[in-house]
Amino acid sequence: MLIELRKGMTLHPGTFNAVIAPVTVMVSALNSNTDLQRFLFLYVSGNYSRLLSSVSRSSRTFEVRRAFTAHQLFTILKEVSHTVVLVEHDPTLFEGAETMIPQIAGMLKEVGRESLVVLYAPSTDPSFSLLMRQADHIIEIAPADDITGTAPYRSSRSSRNDGPVPCAQRTLEVS
Amino acid sequence: MWIVDSAYRDGGVDLWTKDGTVSKVHHDYNPPFFIHFHDPPAHHEMIDALEERYGLEECTIRTIFGDLQGYSVYAGRDVAEAIEQQAQSDVQLFNVDVRRDQRFMAEKGFFPCGAGNDSRYSPEFLHDLNLIELKVHDNPALSSACSDVEVMCGYTERLTGQPNDVLADLFSLVGSLDPDVILMPDADTWLPRIQKEAQKHGLAMPFSRNGKYRQMDARSYWSYGRMEHKESALIPDGRILIDTEQSFVYQEGGLEGVLMAARLSGLPPNLASRFTPGTLISSYEVYEAVKLGIAVPFRKSDPEMIRHISRLQAADRGGMMFQPVPGIYENVEEIDFTSMYPSIIVKANLSPETIGHPDRAGFLPAALKPLLDLRITTKRLKKTDPRFAGIDSILKWMLVTCFGYTGYKNAKFGRIELHEGITGRSRDILIRTKDIAEEMGFTVLHGIVDCLWVQGSAVEMLKQNVENEIEILTEIEHFNWIVFLPQADGSGAYNRYFGRLRDGSVKVRGIAARRHDTPEIVRTMQGKMLEVMAGAGSIAALNDKEEEIRSIFSETARCLPASDKKALVINRRISRLTYAHRCLEGAAVKVYRDRGIEIAPGMKIGYIVREARRYSVDTEWDAAVFDIPYYQALLEKAWKEIAFAFRTPPLRGYPVEQKLPDACQAIICQ
Repeated sequence: MLIELRKGMTLHPGTFNAVIAPVTVMVSALNSNTDLQRFLFLYVSGNYSRLLSSVSRSSRTFEVRRAFTAHQLFTILKEVSHTVVLVEHDPTLFEGAETMIPQIAGMLKEVGRESLVVLYAPSTDPSFSLLMRQADHIIEIAPADDITGTAPYRSSRSSRNDGPVPCAQRTLEVS
Repeated sequence: MWIVDSAYRDGGVDLWTKDGTVSKVHHDYNPPFFIHFHDPPAHHEMIDALEERYGLEECTIRTIFGDLQGYSVYAGRDVAEAIEQQAQSDVQLFNVDVRRDQRFMAEKGFFPCGAGNDSRYSPEFLHDLNLIELKVHDNPALSSACSDVEVMCGYTERLTGQPNDVLADLFSLVGSLDPDVILMPDADTWLPRIQKEAQKHGLAMPFSRNGKYRQMDARSYWSYGRMEHKESALIPDGRILIDTEQSFVYQEGGLEGVLMAARLSGLPPNLASRFTPGTLISSYEVYEAVKLGIAVPFRKSDPEMIRHISRLQAADRGGMMFQPVPGIYENVEEIDFTSMYPSIIVKANLSPETIGHPDRAGFLPAALKPLLDLRITTKRLKKTDPRFAGIDSILKWMLVTCFGYTGYKNAKFGRIELHEGITGRSRDILIRTKDIAEEMGFTVLHGIVDCLWVQGSAVEMLKQNVENEIEILTEIEHFNWIVFLPQADGSGAYNRYFGRLRDGSVKVRGIAARRHDTPEIVRTMQGKMLEVMAGAGSIAALNDKEEEIRSIFSETARCLPASDKKALVINRRISRLTYAHRCLEGAAVKVYRDRGIEIAPGMKIGYIVREARRYSVDTEWDAAVFDIPYYQALLEKAWKEIAFAFRTPPLRGYPVEQKLPDACQAIICQ
């Protein structure tokens, strides 16, 4: 069972992946993968989801659980038994609960030993940056219009480091 | 023993009580918090260390979900947080963040602003608090020192002069009057400044009865989708100080409302006046839980249940709305459910622990039932005795927020499924009410969550039938005429209407006269128009007043260039301090900052538009000129809202016995 984000870019079971990508890329990856319907899929979001309204509702194995606090997210991850776990990052969960970030990052990593875990955000923020440190793979896909140079997209990582603006997808393997 | 104030100090609770005079009694009090380990053997070292250091005791922890075996720990929040951190969240903590003075009173059966033999739920309560009012006439945005203070204490005294002299006189007066309550606009802005000035001049500030003050920090926060700001505050011991300008509870409920909020929430009135209704209802629930011996969870760690995506989308909807056809209607009845959401909670036994266990008696319904009964009583009493209007208003707000609080992420006794269950039932109720009305021959014009507007006869019978079937009380209001306004696309707006009630008053929602950012000149103009309209008992009579109303607009527009600048101030609550695009609000923020005035998100600021096209604004005190066409446009917009009543001939005088084709469409609002 794999999730193909882009041609040749796949996410494998038994890994924790941090993905930064436009909403359309994620929606397309979820909706076009009929294989996903054969596996237990848990979608974890915060108070508001950018993706859920666009995800096909036909799959019988697609389940949802929302976390409104960092502690709830921790409990969800502790109880999870799904093959695929997609966590849509909500930075507001960590406001005033910054001490929970290392615990949750550790739990994502642990769940990722058995399942395919995806931590998703359309752009990075300080809490996402801390959570993804434990990820096996960090994948960043720039918006299509950025590739043509029409939008001044910069990820917070690249702008913080004053490095080059990402111009296309890139994958970083983390040991 | 009538409790005026309470505070946790020096390892105990100070209660300030009034029995002729006010005195302080200190009660030693060091309550434990409770801890439940999911796997105690895994944490045996920590348990041993806690026992050695803090005197750990085994205990049974009573929660709303059932009993848990655990320990009581006689230590503070810092220790609780350290345990949580070390146990990697494999632990549940209780009663960590309950205010100690509130917990003490709940355990002992005491409550603020009442004596031991009072009922907390009595709408009438006696007090002999002596009260003074202070007003600093200096502009708090421009001046840090007080040079002009008015004191009202049966007589009025005006203190003016050098700030140190004014303060010396003020302190002497307050000291000699020794009031129990001080009402003061912008008290939270002025008190820290007064304290600073007093220290500079070696004066002792007498607002606290023992010279001690508690500090509340300033903060900006999101509430119901908008940024709010709370000023920092100095809270005096033993005396009630209310910032009459900033206190929502005081503005809604007056002093009686503040005292009732304190009685119910178990919080001292100084805090009750500064907290939002949401904090009051959550404090009320905490007080009730402690009173019943139920432990209050520290963290919200129980997430919603796993659901299939389609079930989530079906469940997670808001209240029901029926969209009206814009226009003017005659002889309309508004049927309004009294405290619909809390009534649903009580009637349907909705509580976090009853989800999946409907036979279990829920904590939340039991806690809310007396509050709901009290609201029903005050709603009845205020119709004949205006003394109860303030208390009723506070109860209304507390009950309104008790629903929203069930879905709040940090609610101690909430769950999102509960929130969804309440809105789900409310939708069923509104749809069923619409059906009942239509079965009785009524035409349904509009509906919002807990309110339905209908045309038809035998409305009392409709009320009776609805109450019999739904089992929630309703109120009926008769409109001689009502105008439902359109949205920008021409369809009916859900919450913008105005109409004349049977008693000759005009009920207004969502138009310029009700909006907080409307300049006074526009508000006054619309107010005058509505006043004239209130004199018309029918649509025909209203038509006769069109010219008179139009002349109010013409006259206001004519006099606009000579308007007093105070009438042109636009007050906006700022949501941020940096703006990506140019806008008037952003320009106002810049003007304030350039002026050296400290501002924070959620604060209200006022400005006058100098030139809208260039986004130029001035503060009220700096403005010399203003943008006449801009204000003219605001007047025209407000006039158009009113004039809509005269522009909808097809629906004017719509016959009652005839049914409207597709009078309204059902819409579910989020």
